[in-house]
Amino acid sequence: MFRHLFKLMWNKKKQNFLLMTEMFVSFLVVFAVMTISVYYYGNYRKPVGMDYENVWVVNYSNPLKTDNKDSIWLFYEALQRTVKALPQVREVSFTTSNVPFASATIMNGVGHKGRMISNINWYNVDDNYQRVLDLKLLEGRWFNKQDAVAPVKPVVINATLREELFGNEPATGRQYGDDKQSRVIGVVQDVKMKGDYTVAGRAVYNRTDTASLGGMEKMLVRVTPDANLAFEGRLYKTISTALKTANVEIEHLTDKRGSMNNMSLMPMIILSIVAGFLIINVALGLFGVLWYNINKRRAEIGLRRAVGATGRSVSLQLITEALILSTFSVIAGVFFAVQFPLLNVFDLPAMVYVAAIVLSVLFIYLLVLICAFYPGRQAAAVYPAVALHED
Amino acid sequence: MLVNYFKIAIAVLKRRKFFTFISIFIISFTITILVVLAAFIDKVVNDTYPDRNRSRLLYITKFEESGPQSMNSGALSFYYLNRYVKTLKRPARIAISSRPQGTNTYVNNKKISINYKYTDAAYWEVLDHDFLEGKPFTAQQLANGERVAVISERLRKEYFGNAPSVVGQYIEADAVRYRVCGIMKSVPPSNYLFSGDLFLPYTVAKTDIASSKDYRGNFICVLEAPTRADVPAMKAEYEQMAARLPMTNNQYTHIYTHADSYLNAYLRSGNEKKSGMRIVSTVVTIFVLLVMLLPAMNLVNINVTRIMERSSEIGVRKAFGASSKVLAGQFIIENLILTLISGLVSVVLSLIALQLINRANLLNDLHLSLNFNVLLVTLLACLVFGLLSGAYPAWRMSRMQVINALKAS
Repeated sequence: MFRHLFKLMWNKKKQNFLLMTEMFVSFLVVFAVMTISVYYYGNYRKPVGMDYENVWVVNYSNPLKTDNKDSIWLFYEALQRTVKALPQVREVSFTTSNVPFASATIMNGVGHKGRMISNINWYNVDDNYQRVLDLKLLEGRWFNKQDAVAPVKPVVINATLREELFGNEPATGRQYGDDKQSRVIGVVQDVKMKGDYTVAGRAVYNRTDTASLGGMEKMLVRVTPDANLAFEGRLYKTISTALKTANVEIEHLTDKRGSMNNMSLMPMIILSIVAGFLIINVALGLFGVLWYNINKRRAEIGLRRAVGATGRSVSLQLITEALILSTFSVIAGVFFAVQFPLLNVFDLPAMVYVAAIVLSVLFIYLLVLICAFYPGRQAAAVYPAVALHED
Repeated sequence: MLVNYFKIAIAVLKRRKFFTFISIFIISFTITILVVLAAFIDKVVNDTYPDRNRSRLLYITKFEESGPQSMNSGALSFYYLNRYVKTLKRPARIAISSRPQGTNTYVNNKKISINYKYTDAAYWEVLDHDFLEGKPFTAQQLANGERVAVISERLRKEYFGNAPSVVGQYIEADAVRYRVCGIMKSVPPSNYLFSGDLFLPYTVAKTDIASSKDYRGNFICVLEAPTRADVPAMKAEYEQMAARLPMTNNQYTHIYTHADSYLNAYLRSGNEKKSGMRIVSTVVTIFVLLVMLLPAMNLVNINVTRIMERSSEIGVRKAFGASSKVLAGQFIIENLILTLISGLVSVVLSLIALQLINRANLLNDLHLSLNFNVLLVTLLACLVFGLLSGAYPAWRMSRMQVINALKAS
């Protein structure tokens, strides 16, 4: 029966060409939406890797005029002591502009075993960073004071980078890079620094030394849960008194996370609204055309009923016809969609595309099924006597 | 003739109400999406608050130094503006302002986030802000380093609440007290070059802004030409000056900086190789095509179906000597009538959609409206849509053989 129907639809391909093109374009639109949704959902399910509640970011600009590294060092230590002495402060850490949920990114690359690993997030951190953000150590340890005199530069890497450098083996104590310039002392769990819907990517944490102090323009402060607005005002006063020439701003990581998530969701929401509208559009058109076509075939249907076909088998035939028609479009659509993982267009994992293709195919079939259902039912209700009489 | 077409069109639309509903729904929704997009673009491109005499202005926002290995781009330094830009002969006035920075203030048990900017006195002359109270600070106050501030209506409401008059009162921001000298109507964040809450004289900046001798820094600048005719010469003068700039560092080989018209400045990405203008226009074009393509195809499909229904009418008219051209014309006109009706529906829908967007307050102080430009776009969209979805069915129909057309009934 399928072969027969397939032939029927193939013979009418010129007549149905527009309908098929329409379904083909809708498939591509659905595929785009599905790809982003699957990608976001996959990222969303992974753990954040840190505890951002009750952590505040203090931005300050350009506080010191001196070039003497030692006096800058002393200044920061004094500032840290002052802030930490406040009752509701648990931990303080200085870092560069790429704090969690900030748009600033610092990246570099490293040559390892003859290939270049690029786009590694680069964090300059101090000994307290891990405690402030509650990063989860998978192996090894975080930085401490002894690292200042280590002969080979100590670094902490994240799980993604560990897998790329060393596979599944433990990394602690091993050196990497073509000139062995870094020695891994610990591995932390991946941290989604750019919000819930993004990948963590590769990351390397470097201990701040006197040479990198110039870029330390953010302070992360972990406070107790009962820290309120009054305390925030006090913290603000304390810091702006200590940093006389700096402009100071305090932000909460929870707020920053919210706006970062909105930023990544916004294009997705706009795309979904537009796609949703296009799909409603196509569904209505499809419904209209199928309904009209079936009405035009009343004589044929009447004849089939007259020679003994049941109403059910008639409506089944019409629905199957619509599904076969959409199969032509889906095959063409899948052909184009498959090119994305094959050519690795957007640097997304292949599984995302595969899942998106499967979901889009199901979606299109479901859409066609719904649109063909009512016209099919109507056709089943045709009385042979009435239909044949009309002719 | 046209009246007849109109009557026929209405009769046809009335006959199959379901199809008419689908068509009107599709067209009006598509046009609504386009109108909302157009309203947004119109807001960005044509909202001339506070830079009202845009045709006389050029904007300098980015400075790029690049070499084979490295590229650095940012806004302009105070030093560069003073040393190079202010020596230009053509501009009548030059306004400078820093890029926005964030700070907080704590008042009445409330935290207020403030975007503040440093400006010069010319900023208030070149740009035409609406002052609700008070006035901007003067060149004298700037020179004296007085701690005065122009604040936005939004900040006034948040900081002072409903106090009757706040000029002369003090506002504390960034742990410093400033005397309020004027309150201006807020500039929406969509006009990011000029939006902000707190505007201070650059002489009160905590850091020594003049100390850096880099080209790149934290300021942007607006040049005002004496008349509209002087703008090209002013642009040329700036480009010539920029071409003669010495390199600061031997890792750089090129300097790119431009005095742009508003739209170019607005979209400039700061990377000479990535034109913001091109990216934005590509995205908008693809979006518009996608939004129009599917519904148009859908309509063609429906129209083809509906025209086949009328094959007997076509057959009779052809048999009595109507040419294909006349028939095709009639169908296109019928289709245009349908599209125009939908256009009217879409104006209503757009008003509702814009109202919803404004209520949702997606961006502070951003109010989209349906103005003449947008209506023009709507009309254009209707025509394009009508032709797009009417041409193919009309062509197919006009090729129908008389015999077949008559036989079908």
